[in-house]
Formats: sequence, structure tokens, C-alpha cells
Amino acid sequence: MRDIAEALLALLPADVGYADVRVVHRTHEQVLVELDGPGEVGYDDSLGLGLRVVVGGHWGFAATHRLDPRGLDAVITQAVGQARAAGGAGRVALGSPVTTRATWSSPMAVDPFQVALSTKLDLLSATVKEASTAGPLVRQIEASVDFYRDHKVFANTEGALIEQTLTESGGGLLVNAGDGNDLQRRSFPQGVPRQIRGQRGDFATAGWEHVMSLGLVENASRIAAEAVALLTAPQCPDEVTTLIAGSNQLAMVLHECAGHPMEADRALGTEASLAGGTYATPERRGNFRWGSSIVSAYADATIPGGLGSFAYDDEGVPAQRTQVIKDGIFLDYMSGRESAAALGLESTGAARADGWQRLPLVRMTNICLEPGESSLAEMIAGTKRGIFVETNRGFSIDDQRMSFRFTTEVGWEIRDGKLGRLLKNCSYESVTPKFWASLDALGGPDEWKLHGVPSCNKGEPLQVAHVGHGTVPGRFQKVQVGR
Amino acid sequence: MTIEQTQVEQALEILGDGTRLDVLGENADLLRYAESEVTAQHSERRLRVRVRIKRAGRSAAGTLETLEPEAVRTLAGRLNAAMADLPASPGAEETLEETVVAQSPGEVEKPAASVLEADPAVRHQWFSTVRDGLGDSAKLGGAIRFDVLDRVVANSSGLFRAETLTKASIQAIAKQDDRSASVKLVHRDADQIRVEEIPGRLREALAPLPVREQHHGTCRVLLKPQAVNSLIATYAFWALGAHHYATGRSAVSGRMGEQVVSELLTLVDDATDPAGLVSSFDAEGNIRRRAPLIDHGVLTGVVSDRRRAGLTGGVPTGHAVPDGWRFGGDPVPSHLLLDAGESTEDKLLAETGSGLVVNRLDYLRVQHPTETLVTGTTRDATYWAEDGKLVAWHPQLRFTFRMDEVLNAVIGVGATREICDQTFMDSIVVPSLLIDAGPLVLS
Repeated sequence: MRDIAEALLALLPADVGYADVRVVHRTHEQVLVELDGPGEVGYDDSLGLGLRVVVGGHWGFAATHRLDPRGLDAVITQAVGQARAAGGAGRVALGSPVTTRATWSSPMAVDPFQVALSTKLDLLSATVKEASTAGPLVRQIEASVDFYRDHKVFANTEGALIEQTLTESGGGLLVNAGDGNDLQRRSFPQGVPRQIRGQRGDFATAGWEHVMSLGLVENASRIAAEAVALLTAPQCPDEVTTLIAGSNQLAMVLHECAGHPMEADRALGTEASLAGGTYATPERRGNFRWGSSIVSAYADATIPGGLGSFAYDDEGVPAQRTQVIKDGIFLDYMSGRESAAALGLESTGAARADGWQRLPLVRMTNICLEPGESSLAEMIAGTKRGIFVETNRGFSIDDQRMSFRFTTEVGWEIRDGKLGRLLKNCSYESVTPKFWASLDALGGPDEWKLHGVPSCNKGEPLQVAHVGHGTVPGRFQKVQVGR
Repeated sequence: MTIEQTQVEQALEILGDGTRLDVLGENADLLRYAESEVTAQHSERRLRVRVRIKRAGRSAAGTLETLEPEAVRTLAGRLNAAMADLPASPGAEETLEETVVAQSPGEVEKPAASVLEADPAVRHQWFSTVRDGLGDSAKLGGAIRFDVLDRVVANSSGLFRAETLTKASIQAIAKQDDRSASVKLVHRDADQIRVEEIPGRLREALAPLPVREQHHGTCRVLLKPQAVNSLIATYAFWALGAHHYATGRSAVSGRMGEQVVSELLTLVDDATDPAGLVSSFDAEGNIRRRAPLIDHGVLTGVVSDRRRAGLTGGVPTGHAVPDGWRFGGDPVPSHLLLDAGESTEDKLLAETGSGLVVNRLDYLRVQHPTETLVTGTTRDATYWAEDGKLVAWHPQLRFTFRMDEVLNAVIGVGATREICDQTFMDSIVVPSLLIDAGPLVLS
């Protein structure tokens, strides 16, 4: 792969002002076991390269699965042709040159691709069996594990040559219960939008040991029993009340309210065609009150095991930590080289592409809340009336990332400092700065947990990123909840 | 066609009995722009080979980016080894493979030369036409995309189907002060896209009307075609697939023959209708057939794949989705056409009275599928109308509503339809719909 990258750069015509190439070999293994179903074993293998060039101050990008000499010639012709078609007289500013030469592999204890299929099937079958103990109202059970490996080489005309291997592992359980009148879903360890296979559960940049740490078998019967109990649970009341969001629920709120809005390309308008813009405009940097003074957040691609962790991004910029919110004030963006330069900044190392065939975009890495001083138990004990919600079921947020509505798989009422009845169809809605301004308590360091979300969508054509969120439970006052 | 039949046949021979191949040659060319400047140009070439082997009640799948024999052999070895470890399950489908072979080939759409032969200069010309026509007062964002998709579905029982699909699209979002407007046009033939009309449509949509305060309560709402696109596609995705219907996950499960929406609505799924984006077979190789779904408000059918063909007279309607599709594994509508009505856009606006005009519904997400409860926001031009005229911009707002209630409250259907698309659906052809006061509440 190194040879291909270097050979390609050597073939570029003289009018190319800058170029980079990424050769990526991605493998994915999926194992899924269903209740009374056929199950699934899948192996995906993808090898190709993406070439980015600047000619006459304009970008051109081409990608191909053909790595033979004819394929390399064709991809150069296409990328250069795209850039030349813009007619020259353009300007692309990329900031400081990237000249790193390095090799890196993500750490893991047990290579998941070396674990026997029978071991994976045994784990998942045991999980499904435990979940099936919840009775006949359980209509669907699916337990799955997924493993990804990206072996990628990045090289550019500034002298960089970086080889990285990232291994990711994840697993999850999905249970649907139905009684003819209602359908309810419970997922573990976290929910996913829709019923997407290959992206279910909790993921980490780690090996088989991450799957074994999830507790799939141990939690299966509880999760299934909750799905059944939800069928007869009362609806979430429609009221303005105190909301306590569990750690994995808050992960998705942080993702939508802070992660996407603070991606610099949105602030520059380049995602307007699909994803939209952001309230976090450049003039608000450093002075916009995003939330209450107890909330601080950062993007950190260096956290060991984080699903948004790596050593170098897809422009060769080192992974780093960026404080995006400090004491409730919006401070900074995540950026790539071009978006950072447009804002007069240096890249924060957040340019990533979904495989070889896509152009790098600014993508959140691991967006994390700094822990507070409270605890979930303390927050509940200190709440006279409210609801506690867990596990995301769905959400919608406007194109400026302000007005949102989240629905959760499960909730419990809180009365006089104690958890009460199970509630179904819990939703809450608010506006980003108003919601986070109402935050009055955050869980402490011992409740901080890193969640891996492998299903973040952005871009045209659509790209799926793997990201992480470090969160704690949080309490919000005067929130509109309902069904 | 970039996919060689001999290579496909060689791969099938290596993989053995019970194999189905779904091969895609994807060729996408894009021009993206923001703030009236070109920001990116892409040219992406990809071969995706999806392999599914079913043998003796066991099933395994894989994907490759090549049909080279060595790579296919490696995958075959892995899949065979995996199937040896898998327990057998009931419901093997060998007989259905034979059914697919016995079907007569569908009519294959002729690819459009305007897309096949386009070079980057065409997209730059489109961009310049819109930008220059819009003028300096508004900023332009969006994307122009040309796709050529070579498709082959073949199996070890002798099935071989192939088609080349072309598609051109342009999305233009204009921003001026605090106002925004958008147009998206899509067609299999780039020559059928009237790019020169876009600047005028955007300028008209950016009308310098006053901004009114948000209306509270309910009112009539005129949904323009792009907004209807999101509504109809989301409803049909969740309600009108055979598997959802059969397993009680659809809001209309068990209601075949009953009135489920307004009698003004007639909906079919028909990938052979040239009014939409034509395609001739699905990911299992089933011929795509016209599937009547709703006739004057009455539920008349659902769409199916081979597994759920029993619900559609024993013959799949041609709505199998690809293995590993990110929106699920169950059959869902792919080529919707909502019948046009008789009302001009002016008449619909007049009948709106004091009400809202919504050009686009964004991020529409299902909260509860069997209740068709969704939430989403308006995006770009949202207006307030009085007495048949647009009188003000209305602030962007969030709607949370039941889709079945909204579709039951339709009191007017536009005479003009637009071709639209979605990330989860190939083609949606819809007119404007006027919704009576009641189910849409502005809070």
C-alpha cells in the first residue's frame, strides 16, 4: 500500500500544487444471532484509494478500487481533470505543511479477527437465550458483534507518509416486544437510529476484550423484561418538569448539540446542502453562552479506546484535544486544514473520511463532558418531581442545531427523591442553549463513561463516521417532556 | 456497462451452489459549492460485489470491491467455513431461486447520454448559470451530482439481469439576509433538468416580505412538493412494506381494504413509470412491478421481496433491498408516485386562507412507528399566507404530528408533480398537498 501511494504521487503532472493520497483496506466482520431466525455472518472487504489534488487553486478528488497502473492513471486524470475544469485563479489555503512520517496501530489485548466464529456464536446465542426468558410477548431478539479494521496509508506532496491500523470492536442486543396493541423496543448497551445492522451496540477502538466487557449475557434478561413491561407502562406525562438524562442518553444530546455544530465546515457553510449550518458562528467564538457555568466539554482523539481515537487524521495531522466549551461558553471548533485556515486557526486534526472512496470532512472525534460533582443517586434524591430517561430511541434537530426533540426507549418517574413507575414513549424537546443553561448537576468522575457510536451521518455523498462520547448523567430543570 | 458477464459467471462458479451476486459499479461525479464558490469536486469509482450464499438452511454474506478470482476464492473459503459453524435454520429458499429464473426479463431503461458522456465542464456550466442568474445579492450553496450506476444481479441457478441507470441532480440553496430558499431537481436525463429556471425560482422564493411572529395553534398548511416528498416517503417506508405489515409494525397492519388516508390520495409504487426514476429489477433480481398501495384513500397493497411474496399474490413486487443496506433488511417502497389532483398552485394558496406554506420538511424522524408519530422542522422558505397571497416569512418551526392524521386531513391536491429523492428511497413523485387545520399544531 505504501508503494502504491508513493508511486501515485510520483506520477502527478507538474501543475499539481498539492496532493494527498489515502490507500485504505477496510475489513468488517459481523455475526448476528436472532430468536428463531437464520442469523447472519458477514465479511466485508474493501480496498481502494482516494486522491486529492489542488490545481490552479481548486480541488479535485477521485477515488478508485483499481490499483493497477491503468487504474492509477485514470484516477489522476479524473482528479486533475476535475480541478482544471474550475478554470484556475482559485486559492486553497492549508496552513502549516504536514510532513510527518510515522507508523501506528491502535492498542488491543485480543485480536477480534482471530477469535473463533464458534466463540462469537456461543456468546450471542447465550445472550438471545437469556433475553428469551422474558416470555411470549418478546417478538424479536437480535444479538450481534461487529469488528472493523482499517489499514491505511496516507502520503502527501509535502513529504508525509503515515501508516495506521485501527481495530474496532462492538456488540449489542436489540429486543422488540409486542402485544397486538403496542410495540416497544429496548436496546443494550445503547440504542441506534432505525434497526441498522453493523452499527448496533457500544463500540471501542479495541479488541475482543471490549465485547467481553459489555455484559451482554448478564443484562439480556433485564433488557427483555423491560421491553415487555413497557407495553403496559403508562405514557410519559406531558408537562414541564425536571429531567435527568442517563449517561448514554446524554451522549447523543451532546453529539447533536455540541459535536456537529462545532465542526468548522458547518460554520463555513460547506455542509449547507445536506446537513445544514450552525448556531456556532465564528463571531460567537469565545462569547456565546452555550450552557450553564458547570458545563465544559472537549474533543479528544487521543483517549485510549475511544471510537473517535486515532494517531493522525486523514490529512496527516496529529490527534489532539480541543476544548470546545469552557464554563458554559463556546470556545472553539473541530477543524481540518482548510477549514482551520479559513478561520485563521491551525487544524485540530479532525478531518476524516469514510473509507477510501470519500473526501475527508470535518468530523467530531470523542466529544466529552467534563464530569461534575454530583451523582445519579444524588440527583434523583434531590428531585421532588421529574423523570429519568435512558437509551436513545430517536431524535430530530433543526439545520442550525438549535430546536431538538429526543425520544428515549425507557423512562421512570421520580417522586419525592425516588424512582417510581416505568414510563413509555418519553420525549423531551428544547433549544440547545436554553436546555444546557438549565443544567444544574452533573455526575462525578466515577460515573464518567466513554460511549462508542458507529453511526454518525454527514456529507454529500453520505459518510458514516465512528465517534466517541464521554459523558456522565445530568439534571436539567424546567424541560418540556411528553410523549 | 463496466461489469463483465464472464467475470460474474466465473465468480458464481467459484462460490458454488446457492449463491446470489448483487454487483454495483458506482460512478459518481459531484460539484459542491458554498457562499457562491466551488468548494469541492469529486469523481468516485467503486465496484461493490455483494455475495449471499444460502445452502441447506444456512446463510452467509460478504462484500468485495473486485471480481478477481483470487479475491472471490478467499471470500468463498471464509463463507464456507462460517456456514460449517452455523446452525441450520428453517425456511430455506431454494425454490424461490427457480422462480426468479423463470420470470421474463424486464424492460431495461436506456441510460441517458447526457449523464454518461458529461465532463466536469457541464457541472461548472450549471453552477455558473445558477450563480450568475441569482446575482450578487444572494449566496449560493448546494451540490450538482451525476451518477452512473451499473447493476447486475445473478445467481448460480442461471439468473442474470443487468441495467445501467443514470441520474443527474442539482440542489441550489440561496441565502439572502436571514432568508433562505432551495430548489432540488432530479432526473435520469440531465437534458431534462431546466437549470435556467432555478435562479428565477430562487429569487421569487426569496421575496422580501416582512417576518411575522410565530403563529400559535393550528391552521391550514400548504405543503409544497419537497415537503410532501419527506412526508410520503417516511409514511410509506414505515407503513407499506410487506414485512412491517405482516409483523404488526405498520400502522396499517390488518387494514387491507380499509380507508387509511384521505380519499383524495392515490399512491402507487411503480419503477416502470417514466414519470419517476425508472429501474427494472431489485437486489434479489426480482422484476420491479407496479404495486398499487392506496386507491382513493383505501389500502390496496404493500410491497414485497421473495420472503414476503405471499402478501402480494405469491409474486414479489420487486422491492428487496440490498444486503447490508443501512436502512434495514425489509422490503420497502422505492419508486412512489402520488396521483396529481386538479388544483393549480394558485388555487391551493387561495384555499389556504390564513395559513402556513411549507416548502421543505427536514429531519423528519419517526417517534412511534405504529402510531406514525413523527417530529421534524421546516427548512428554507416558510411563509404565512392571507387571502391567497404570501404576506410574510414565518419563523422556522418544529412539527410533531401523526402522519396518518395529516394524510387524512388532505383537502387539496396540486396538479403539478415534481420528481424527488431521499437517501432511503430512489424516487418520489408528488404534488403539493393542502392540509386542513387540526393535525398540524404550531406551538
